[in-house]
Amino acid sequence: MTATATRAPERAATGEASALAGLGAMVRFMLRRDRIKFPAWTLGLALFVVYIGSALPVIAPTEQELTASVPMLQQPIGRMFTGPAYGLDAITYERFFSAGYVAYLYIVAALMTIFLVTRHTRTEEQTGRAELIRANVVGRHTPLTAALVVALITSLVAGLLVTATAVSQGFAVTGSVLVGLGVVFVALCFAGITAVTVQLTEYSRAAAGLAGAILGLAFIIRALGDMAAIGGSALSWASPLGWATQTAPFVLDRWWPLALVAALAVAAVVVAYLLQARRDLGAGLVAARQGRPEAGRWLAGPWGLAARLQRSAILAWGGGIVALGVVDGLFTQTMLDVGDTMPEALGQVFGSDALATGYLAFLAVFSGYMTAAYVVYSVQALRAEERSGRGEAVLATPTSRVAWAGSHLGVVALGASGIMLVTGLLTGTAAAAVTGTWSFVADSVLAHANLLPAVLVVLGLCALVFGWLPRFLGIIGWTMVGVMFFVGNFAPMMDAPQWLIDLSPLSHPANYPVEEFEIVPVLVLAGIALTGVLVGLVGLTRREVLQRG
Amino acid sequence: MSQPAVIQANGLVKNFGNVRALDGLDLQISQGEIHGFLGPNGAGKSTTIRVLLGLLRADGGSAQLFGRDPWADAVDLHRRLAYVPGDVELWPNLTGGEAIDLFARLRGHLDKKRRDTLCERFDLDPSKKARTYSKGNRQKVALISALASQVDLLLLDEPTAGLDPLMEIIFQECIREEQAKGTTVFLSSHILAQVEALADRVSIIRQGQVVQTGTLKSMRHMTRTTITVETAAPADGLTRVVGVHDVRTNDGQVSFEVDGEHVESVLREVSALGVRSIVAHPPTLEQLLLRHYGDKVA
Repeated sequence: MTATATRAPERAATGEASALAGLGAMVRFMLRRDRIKFPAWTLGLALFVVYIGSALPVIAPTEQELTASVPMLQQPIGRMFTGPAYGLDAITYERFFSAGYVAYLYIVAALMTIFLVTRHTRTEEQTGRAELIRANVVGRHTPLTAALVVALITSLVAGLLVTATAVSQGFAVTGSVLVGLGVVFVALCFAGITAVTVQLTEYSRAAAGLAGAILGLAFIIRALGDMAAIGGSALSWASPLGWATQTAPFVLDRWWPLALVAALAVAAVVVAYLLQARRDLGAGLVAARQGRPEAGRWLAGPWGLAARLQRSAILAWGGGIVALGVVDGLFTQTMLDVGDTMPEALGQVFGSDALATGYLAFLAVFSGYMTAAYVVYSVQALRAEERSGRGEAVLATPTSRVAWAGSHLGVVALGASGIMLVTGLLTGTAAAAVTGTWSFVADSVLAHANLLPAVLVVLGLCALVFGWLPRFLGIIGWTMVGVMFFVGNFAPMMDAPQWLIDLSPLSHPANYPVEEFEIVPVLVLAGIALTGVLVGLVGLTRREVLQRG
Repeated sequence: MSQPAVIQANGLVKNFGNVRALDGLDLQISQGEIHGFLGPNGAGKSTTIRVLLGLLRADGGSAQLFGRDPWADAVDLHRRLAYVPGDVELWPNLTGGEAIDLFARLRGHLDKKRRDTLCERFDLDPSKKARTYSKGNRQKVALISALASQVDLLLLDEPTAGLDPLMEIIFQECIREEQAKGTTVFLSSHILAQVEALADRVSIIRQGQVVQTGTLKSMRHMTRTTITVETAAPADGLTRVVGVHDVRTNDGQVSFEVDGEHVESVLREVSALGVRSIVAHPPTLEQLLLRHYGDKVA
């Protein structure tokens, strides 16, 4: 038996080796637990390549049509969302693929390993399952190492599949290998970064959130850097996503920027092990503090509790979204400067001659789906209350289900409104400050207010699902955010089907300030949002309250 | 007019998919009673309590608290009861004190003095964040919150599973004080000593059914007494006496079990042998339980 065969050397091993005892078994165990997620993520990435590869010839069958869509990628906002736009003057399908979509392959690859590493390390510690594992012949560093090995295997398979599918689409082999390697290195880089964040906090959601915030920051830095100039600017080189896109597959075919990504991955992993060696199982690096022995005046009733529980999410998400809005607002002048040098055809991209109003409308949409993501995250926190049994404890007091869930949903609605309006105000103020056009403040606030009911439709949807099909809250909520993100960024570029565009609530209000404000769609969306919440609450009063359900 | 039972369940059925968690469960608990609810894990104790709380809806049969439907009138009924779950989950970033106060305010009444007294008796530091509490300390938070609430009914689901023996004594004191005030206590437990010490009546649940209910005294009558004797004449003949089971001879002493209804006739047989010493044990709760779960143990 293998157990007896491996026992002797383990006993003989000391120091470093014993810290890794049981590694093989742990890796196999993690792969077994990932038997659905592993193929889903890796094949999903490959399918994305196949989809783009086969969609492009359909959208733009002739070279002329392909050339006509180049400005969309090449103009500053296009570059913000896609990359440095290398080699578009002599456009081919593979270059269009590389310039327009590869950055998103990298983002998905990063998300893949962020969730993977969190799931196998901090989630296990938080639930106490790691304690069971570590009580066996399993070394101190085994779980983290095994998670990183699984991340490596997953990333390599993903990279291999991406390369193979790219080649199968008729793309050049060198560029395809470079794209595949980009996927591998970015995935490993964020596996390393997550290995650090899981050391810092005791909570898996916070750990994944922190790593996700770093990914978001990397995206924004690259976006602003690439917006400043074709081929990117110095700022593009301050982001691991920037390094990966600077490989310019199918154009320059540069290999060396990947060395920077690899170096960051290695550095992060080293830091993770140093941190892990300094802490106890289950603990974070930030020690728990003493708190108040008595509840404050505000912590009374379901609303007080909901506000207290949702507070940190509002501050974290709100702070992030507002900060992004301000930074984007500050780049309005840069946007106008580079926009002036672009051909006239660009105006069509925004449906307007005025680059600045188009930019402000775009930023409002950006805030819209980010705030929608906050909404889904926060309604999931309500679901977590139910699953953990804490909701049961509250519902065993004379608190009705409607008051319990309604207070959470109400606080989330207020949070989303606050985030949208403050972001609108500060984005507009930043834009006005750099351009001197003070009407931008009102434009931006109204543009954000205009989209707020659309964001609240997501709250209505989540409440509805929570009330009737609670198990599907995560999948339905995040799919909706994905649709809003996709439609907001790619719909014009991808010739997306109309039903998909209509599915995003953000598509329905007028494109203010490019178009005139319209009250009807705003009222209809607000009505849909309210109906969703009410029907959801009815569902909650009819279904059972389930623990771990 | 007779008062309705505080808890009344008739033929309660609850399915989870293919699993039948409650299979025609009957319960009747009257006012001021401490009722022990005994059974191993998975027998349906927590499911019963969740149905009584109106968190789960029964698939069949009926349940009433204070004569009302726990599903339809949950909020009103919850004004009159407090619940301690077996697995207490608290908000990691709230302190124990904050959680106690919050629950009190959700019930509509916060008695600070009583809260502080209970914190002291249970030796709980209310200024620690819940994430730093052990299982026992989280349980203390739920217990203090329930005991401070001045309600008519306490629903306790294995309330002391994580407490040490000293705290167990305090818990029993507190429950007796509650009983003196007329509070009804539904005590789900698998700690037999606790139920023996506290309960007026006991229901034994097995696979979603109450297989036996009554006072401990009446149950003991239905089970066997253990007797150990040392006799002048050999006691070999005892094996043939009606009502005697499990005769073992050990170092001149003979131990055997006697069915409740045959104690008198057996004692007559034994005394005829010339008794030098005799020890008789009433059946323990373990034996009561094993009678119903014997097939599993064997």
